Amino acid sequence: MRRHLFILEFALSGLCRRRYKNLALLVAYSLLIFIISSILFLTHALKREAELLLQSSPEITVQRLMAGRHALVPVDWVDTIVSIPGVIDASPRYWGYYYDPFTGANFTVLGVRSSEFPLKGREDLDPEDCLIGSGVSETGLLRTGDSLVMVDPEGIARPFRVAGVFSTSSSILTNDLVVLKEETIKRFFQIPEGYAVDLVVRVANPSEIDTIAKKIKEKIPSSRPITRTEILRTYESLFDWRSGMVLSMFIGALLAFFIFAWDKATGLSAEERREIGVLKAIGWDSSDIMEMKFWEGLVLSSLAYLTGTITGFVHVFMLGAPLLESALKGWSVLFPSLKLRPVIEVYQLMVLLFLTVVPYMAATIAPSWKAAMTDPEEVIRS
Amino acid sequence: MAIVLEDVTKIYNPGQPNEVHAVKGVSLRIGKNEVVILKGPSGSGKTSLLSIIGCMSRPTSGRVLVNGRDVAKLPERFLTEIRRQRCGFIFQQFNLLRGITVKENIMLPLYPAGVSLGEIKRRTEEVMDLLQISHRANFRVEQLSGGEQQRVAIARALVNDPEIVLADEPTAHLDTHLSEEFLRMISEIKGAGKTVVIATHDPLVYESSLVDRVIHMRDGIILEEGQ
Amino acid sequence: MKYRRFLILLITESLILLGLLLWGHYRGQTEFVRLTGLKDLVTSLMLTDLSIWTEARYTRHPSQTDLFSAFQDCPGCLEHFPSGSIVSVPPHLRRPEEIP
Repeated sequence: MRRHLFILEFALSGLCRRRYKNLALLVAYSLLIFIISSILFLTHALKREAELLLQSSPEITVQRLMAGRHALVPVDWVDTIVSIPGVIDASPRYWGYYYDPFTGANFTVLGVRSSEFPLKGREDLDPEDCLIGSGVSETGLLRTGDSLVMVDPEGIARPFRVAGVFSTSSSILTNDLVVLKEETIKRFFQIPEGYAVDLVVRVANPSEIDTIAKKIKEKIPSSRPITRTEILRTYESLFDWRSGMVLSMFIGALLAFFIFAWDKATGLSAEERREIGVLKAIGWDSSDIMEMKFWEGLVLSSLAYLTGTITGFVHVFMLGAPLLESALKGWSVLFPSLKLRPVIEVYQLMVLLFLTVVPYMAATIAPSWKAAMTDPEEVIRS
Repeated sequence: MAIVLEDVTKIYNPGQPNEVHAVKGVSLRIGKNEVVILKGPSGSGKTSLLSIIGCMSRPTSGRVLVNGRDVAKLPERFLTEIRRQRCGFIFQQFNLLRGITVKENIMLPLYPAGVSLGEIKRRTEEVMDLLQISHRANFRVEQLSGGEQQRVAIARALVNDPEIVLADEPTAHLDTHLSEEFLRMISEIKGAGKTVVIATHDPLVYESSLVDRVIHMRDGIILEEGQ
Repeated sequence: MKYRRFLILLITESLILLGLLLWGHYRGQTEFVRLTGLKDLVTSLMLTDLSIWTEARYTRHPSQTDLFSAFQDCPGCLEHFPSGSIVSVPPHLRRPEEIP
């Protein structure tokens, strides 16, 4: 035990001796872990948030496919679907996208029925009123009482009075929404009578969802039912650390860092070789030298790991990931504020450990094996 | 500690075009509390022999008996153990580690020995007092003069209380005054009952009165032994 | 001794991280209330997706996109970089045989 502490002590002396070089390495290493942990925490929190929220999404949504494309759904499908045992209810949904040429943003326009009016304290929405998400409000500089102008398919500009703005705390769901009354949206998009954009099916027993989806497909072959499980699965894989960003953007950085670390570890200077020889001559064993190298790597790794993780956590959950936001945002005009629920699992921390510390240790310890095997006699011969 | 070499040879890069026969069949006995000089020009094999005596390298053939036990065939960690417990080295250019303090340099041989911190500190202070470098304890070695560095190197060689002290060309970079100083310290080491083996071709060292034996080497063999 | 200083630093950082995790756990519980409120919104507006990226259908409504439309924007399209590279292909598009 004491022996190990002394070797750690000497390893620390060694690190302090090449202070600036090791400090630079520590900073680069911490920065790398900071970036990876930020992405990992952010995507994980988004995933959990999606998982929690979308549990309330419709059990089944039914789309129609025509000539290989989405098409409007005939509302009389409702009767066919409701006749399937286990289905409580099926209702048409009216929604669409609207490109706003003034701000360059895409809005999601959504129709609601009076009975489903989402804002507390309000009974109904006037036909000429709209509710907007905070993103729409910010880009269009719109406040309650202002008019949101949208151009209909005939080229006529139609103003809608902003009756309310969704709070920023809901922006992950409502950021780009423009909520209109159902009749208003049908008229605005000129959706033909008897048609809807898609259908929403409510099922009593969650275990029957898949069976019912299958039955819908059998009864209406041109339909495409999407179950809630599929939605949840989509989001599960959407924010997977193995996908997208980590792979495409940071594998390169990761590799560059390990090449740097490997180079530093393998390219032992004549000075370092001499020192290892001296240590061996005065009674250090090869295993002691290896242990010293191991401590060096572990000291750097553990400090970088903790520093990177702490700063990553603060960055994502306390500051709202400002550095990642611009990278994630890209060309998006609307982007929700990332006030996320700080959920971290041990699994995340382990992934981070295996992604950074383990390869670093491997890349630096393995080559020191050769140096540790140096014959002490070489020192007195040089 | 008695060290006996029996018909020891050392070949570097065997079978290669740059094969070198550094030591050719040397037999030698070094007794307890002796000061032995290995004398000879460079390339005479004295450094190779010194490193075999100090268990830093293994002979190609022959036997090396340390207190009656053949160590030539022992695995590396046993040799390390012998170096750690019984040998102290003084290198030609002192080979102190730069960037760390005098005290830390002296402590180094004790780190893997498994003794307590109190013991390490006690022994370090003891040898620093003995060599009168206590006032430099917290200086980095590169801030020291040549004479002081030499004392640190000797202190490091003595800190593990070895039975045998080996020195390779210790006076090669020292002026006459410091070389005499070195000999004075060697006589103190001898006075403490230790065996000393010095590889040198400095007449000031091998003609000194405290030397018990001079072994004259050339081309890997012993030419003559003198008192 | 330096190792004491190192261990103190290591323990301090570990405690900070632990504190953050505890804070996160506590915050997570209060945030849970906010999210429960949002769940009602999901139900009443019948939402199927999060509003994160709005530049393409597959980024705005990844769960609703299909494999059938011709000339559809594909994940990885440069015009939607970087969201196109962050949003991976939905699983039901990756394995066509699994389409219900």
